[in-house]
Amino acid sequence: MSEQQPYEPRIVAFLCKWCSSAGSDLAGVSRIQYPANATPITIPCTGAVSPMYILSAFNKGADGVLVSGCHIGDCHYIEGNYLARRKMHLTMELLKFIGVEQNRFRMSWVSAAEGAKFAQVVTDFVNDLRPLGPQDKLKKAVRT
Amino acid sequence: MINLQDIRDTARDMLAKGEVRAVIGYRRGSRGMLAEPAFITDPAQADELVWDPTCFHNLSLYLVEDRKFLAHLRKTANAPIAIVAKGCDARSIVVLMQEHYFKREDVYIIGVSCEGSGVVDERKLAPRLNGIQATNAAFDGDDFVFTTAEGEKRIPACEVMADRCLECRNPFPKEHNLAFGEDKTGRKLAEPFAALTRFEAQGAGQRWDSWSRHFDRCIRCFACRSVCPMCYCDECVVDSITFPVTAETTADEKANRIKWIERSATRSENITYLMTRAMHLAGRCTDCGECERACPVNVPIRMLNNKMEREAREKFGFEPGASIGGPSLVATFLDTDPGDFIR
Amino acid sequence: MTKKRTGVFVCHCGTNIAATVDVAKVAKEMAGEDTVAFTQEYVYMCSEPGQESVVQAIKDNKLDSVVVTCCSPNLHEKTFRDNAKRAGINNFTCEIANIREQCSWVHNDKAKGTEKAIKISRSVVRRVNRNQPLDSIAVNVTRRAMVIGGGIAGIQAALDIANAGVEVVLVEKQATLGGRMLQLSETFPTLDCSQCVLSPKMVEVNRHPNIKLHTYSDVQELAGSVGNFRVKINKRPTFVDPDKCKICDHCTVVCPVVVPNEYELNLTARRAIYIPYAQAIPASFTLDEEACLGLNPIVCGKCKDVCEPDAINYDMRPETVTEDVGAIVVATGFDLYDQANMPELGGGQIEDVLDGLQFERLCSASGATKGHVLRPSDHTEPKNVVFIQCVGSRDPAKHCAYCSKICCMYTAKHAQLYKHHVPDGRAYVFYIDIRSGGKGYEEFVQRTMEDDDTLYLRGRVSKLYRHNGKVRVMGTDTLTGQNVEIDADMVVLALAMVPSKGTAEIAKTLKVGRDNDGFMAEAHPKLKPVESVTGGIFLAGAAQAPKDIPETVAQAGAAAAKVIALLSQTTLNRPPLIAKVRRSHCTGCGMCVEACPFIAIRLEGGKAVVNEALCEGCGSCSATCLRAAIDVKNVTQLQIHEMIEACLA
Ligand SMILES: Cc1cc2nc3c(=O)[nH]c(=O)nc-3n(C[C@H](O)[C@H](O)[C@H](O)COP(=O)(O)OP(=O)(O)OC[C@H]3O[C@@H](n4cnc5c(N)ncnc54)[C@H](O)[C@@H]3O)c2cc1C
Ligand code: SF4
Ligand code: SF4
Ligand code: SF4
Ligand code: SF4
Repeated sequence: MSEQQPYEPRIVAFLCKWCSSAGSDLAGVSRIQYPANATPITIPCTGAVSPMYILSAFNKGADGVLVSGCHIGDCHYIEGNYLARRKMHLTMELLKFIGVEQNRFRMSWVSAAEGAKFAQVVTDFVNDLRPLGPQDKLKKAVRT
Repeated sequence: MINLQDIRDTARDMLAKGEVRAVIGYRRGSRGMLAEPAFITDPAQADELVWDPTCFHNLSLYLVEDRKFLAHLRKTANAPIAIVAKGCDARSIVVLMQEHYFKREDVYIIGVSCEGSGVVDERKLAPRLNGIQATNAAFDGDDFVFTTAEGEKRIPACEVMADRCLECRNPFPKEHNLAFGEDKTGRKLAEPFAALTRFEAQGAGQRWDSWSRHFDRCIRCFACRSVCPMCYCDECVVDSITFPVTAETTADEKANRIKWIERSATRSENITYLMTRAMHLAGRCTDCGECERACPVNVPIRMLNNKMEREAREKFGFEPGASIGGPSLVATFLDTDPGDFIR
Repeated sequence: MTKKRTGVFVCHCGTNIAATVDVAKVAKEMAGEDTVAFTQEYVYMCSEPGQESVVQAIKDNKLDSVVVTCCSPNLHEKTFRDNAKRAGINNFTCEIANIREQCSWVHNDKAKGTEKAIKISRSVVRRVNRNQPLDSIAVNVTRRAMVIGGGIAGIQAALDIANAGVEVVLVEKQATLGGRMLQLSETFPTLDCSQCVLSPKMVEVNRHPNIKLHTYSDVQELAGSVGNFRVKINKRPTFVDPDKCKICDHCTVVCPVVVPNEYELNLTARRAIYIPYAQAIPASFTLDEEACLGLNPIVCGKCKDVCEPDAINYDMRPETVTEDVGAIVVATGFDLYDQANMPELGGGQIEDVLDGLQFERLCSASGATKGHVLRPSDHTEPKNVVFIQCVGSRDPAKHCAYCSKICCMYTAKHAQLYKHHVPDGRAYVFYIDIRSGGKGYEEFVQRTMEDDDTLYLRGRVSKLYRHNGKVRVMGTDTLTGQNVEIDADMVVLALAMVPSKGTAEIAKTLKVGRDNDGFMAEAHPKLKPVESVTGGIFLAGAAQAPKDIPETVAQAGAAAAKVIALLSQTTLNRPPLIAKVRRSHCTGCGMCVEACPFIAIRLEGGKAVVNEALCEGCGSCSATCLRAAIDVKNVTQLQIHEMIEACLA
């Protein structure tokens, strides 16, 4: 890796398999272009996202973490996204509280039909992350 | 005003009649005026019990220890255990019961109301005593009275009381078998979350400046965790060294442990530990303040828990330890939970 | 644990992937992974030769796990899992890394695309490292169905299912079957008598050996899942034994209590003891507990005194019945939008302003006026009647955004019925536009305009108020651009159809979703219009969206066919990706029990225990457990942990 390389935010994106992952598939089928910064991890439901995942992703050097699932009322498991909404709210508030920039964590509702929205969510997130530079607050120091 | 003799009589009586197998309370310690936790099984020891402004320990921790010890011995208790509990301590006991750690009938709660007062904060008191050794502390109306070598020193309680006590609205142990002292639920010595509000008024940059210093200081001694009755897990998720290997532990379980963080006490790992702990205490921490008091390097841990408590109260209408059958914060939701942060 | 031997198969998808992802590099990088024993690229992995090569490679290289980096798992997960099985390894050790939809198609920078494809692939390889071989779970199916709601939708569904030889439990909230259709007088587009076509079906339901009827009952609780539901039903007491009641009507004669009759939409009154309609099924009286003076012979007891067959029993109590069924049809119907929301149209306070259902009762021979159209205020024949369409519909700013679909048609019907009853009367219709799609529907509307000489005015009505014993209608005719003022004897509002009262609660109980307008949500708007999002629960009738009777009946038939198909299986296969407890870590705190949306966990001996038949594998438990003591198989926290690591490597 050369030092001249411009900063590219690294995002871990937890996508619910029923909606946001399917929504990202639709973005693909529609060939909507968006930045390649977010690596998706498909999970059964946003309700399955433990706050530990968020903290761990930052700890492992993520510049941003995205959690995306079904709109309220549309959860395949009926209540998973309600549980997620509460957990993620608390996680986000705690991160903000210790001074982590608010824009490093993002949550969105993207249905299987919202391919364009998915692309927009990622694009916006990357744009919001760029000015923040690399995340080094929670990042594990690399042994040299 | 609580009459100490009542507590002692109760303890003696119950032990003598065999109604309880032990009483967990406070006795005068070996370190000057400070009280220390006491585990009394002999009725004759009942007169050692004290109740004063230095009774800050959350004794429910010893209920946890007791259960762990019994489990270790593979024994079941033959009688309930009695415990002296302040408002916050009693709420901890409620949370533990909510989480089925023990049953209501296993514990006899001797509630003590902090009434219009609270426990002392040693760090606030030290400069006021000017290095003079105190040998006794006592409640007296709105004051604390300290006995020192240079005579009695009377200080308005509010000036040396722990912040959490100043902010406490529920000094009365609602869940109890027997309660001493007046029920002053709803009292207001200071605005709740006052210190937190002050801190939050700063910008993100300043907040990070302070927290990064705190996180740097942490030596991961885990005193905060050890002193916390809610951190009763056999294996803490962020510290796999505590992994319990029992007869039923499968090879699979041994192999599949997650190392979320490294053991070295570096900033990133300390943050992940302390943030995880704060998340785990959300809706469970009853603000007994013991973690912060126990920390050898003054990390203001209580503030993290306080932040979660305030979010829970203001956004989700949630009060930790409100009732044994009550909901848990993160396993439930309301249709009205805020969602405007979601795009 | 012995080290895995994973094969990674990188698909080019022609140039679909290869154009923006350096596939060779992906394969090379994956070959560097500790557990990867074999890699291969191919131009179309899903083609016949591609699939064969996967099978062959698994056999030749003794692979135990497979990662195919290709298109979305929604397309070929099954294909490649079947191949894995064909090659003799467990199908759940095969996973897909989606590098097409989620990567090559959405990025055009090849370097960045390749880098991301590598991260995705690596994270899936790491996941597969810890995948367990799993077998699908077979569960027995309870060959019995439940229908909730006894309107025409529920009646039709119940009959269709019962006629296929499957036992049906029909639950109706009211004291009689029939729903809204029983309140209608004649129905468009043929003007046949509603009750005449409905009553025989109601009788058939009542007599059908395969149908068990619970009226005056509510669904209280649902447990279980597709194939095996357990439903708790609360049967409210009617205080009259239907087997003994002779419908002699002696009781109503003596009952001193008079309350508005909700079955007649409050146009008339009834006694505390009553029968909703002459055609009611079950054919029995019902005692309204709230209206009765006290269910006590000392206080009143008049009805009990006169009841010859001694059918009245004041000591009846609510009863809880539990029914086990394999599938459920929800047909809870609709209500009309509340007039109180429209103060400008009188807010329901003007006596001679009626809603459509009230007008149906006025026209109905079995209604309060015995089929004479008389206005409520003074029982005179109205000579000027104004019908207003789209009241509350198609008004996203203030009321319902959607079109209620049937109001154009029933308003035309109302105008015709009115003209048939009062030939010298004048009928006006205010409309926005006429939506009369349907067989014979347009012709029906034309007849209303031409044969029955109804004046259609295009425009909205802005205000209604009492004026000299009439109702002053202030509107505009947008075609002429003029304000219109009519002093009407009676006004009929075609109010929007809304989900029936209690829909939100029953949806919650059944755990089926609702759409933005509050109707029960179908699983897919085009391809699954009668399925709810919950497996084994189907939708029929106006509960799902506004619709007329033919459409309702068609959907009910479709739902019944789905139920019959489902229940024709003796066992169902459930995916084995369900929760598993690490007992050594579980403290028995019960938070997972509380979080589980499917009531699939219980505490036993101080530890969480998962009911495999109920768990859907959502992972809510896992994210809630503080101790990572419960995991969804093959999506464990440890796996996610390692995937996160791979994404950030
Ligand atoms: C004024 C008016 C005129 C109409 N005229 C015509 C016409 O001429 N031709 C035509 O084709 N259509 C007409 N319709 C439409 C017709 O009424 C509906 O299409 C039809 O009634 C829908 O049937 P349903 O069974 O889905 O709902 P409903 O008839 O509403 O039946 C639902 C049933 O479910 C019961 N229920 C509700 N909730 C529960 C619960 N939680 N548990 C148990 N039971 C429950 C209700 O009590 C009710 O019995 C008209 C509608 C109106 C408003
Ligand atoms: S915060 Fe304090 S008590 Fe807790 S581990 Fe760190 S140094 Fe120890
Ligand atoms: S921090 Fe969490 S996992 Fe660790 S002991 Fe406390 S509650 Fe248990
Ligand atoms: S949440 Fe975790 S510790 Fe608590 S009962 Fe469930 S599996 Fe056990
Ligand atoms: S994964 Fe857990 S929460 Fe979800 S259905 Fe299964 S047991 Fe319940």
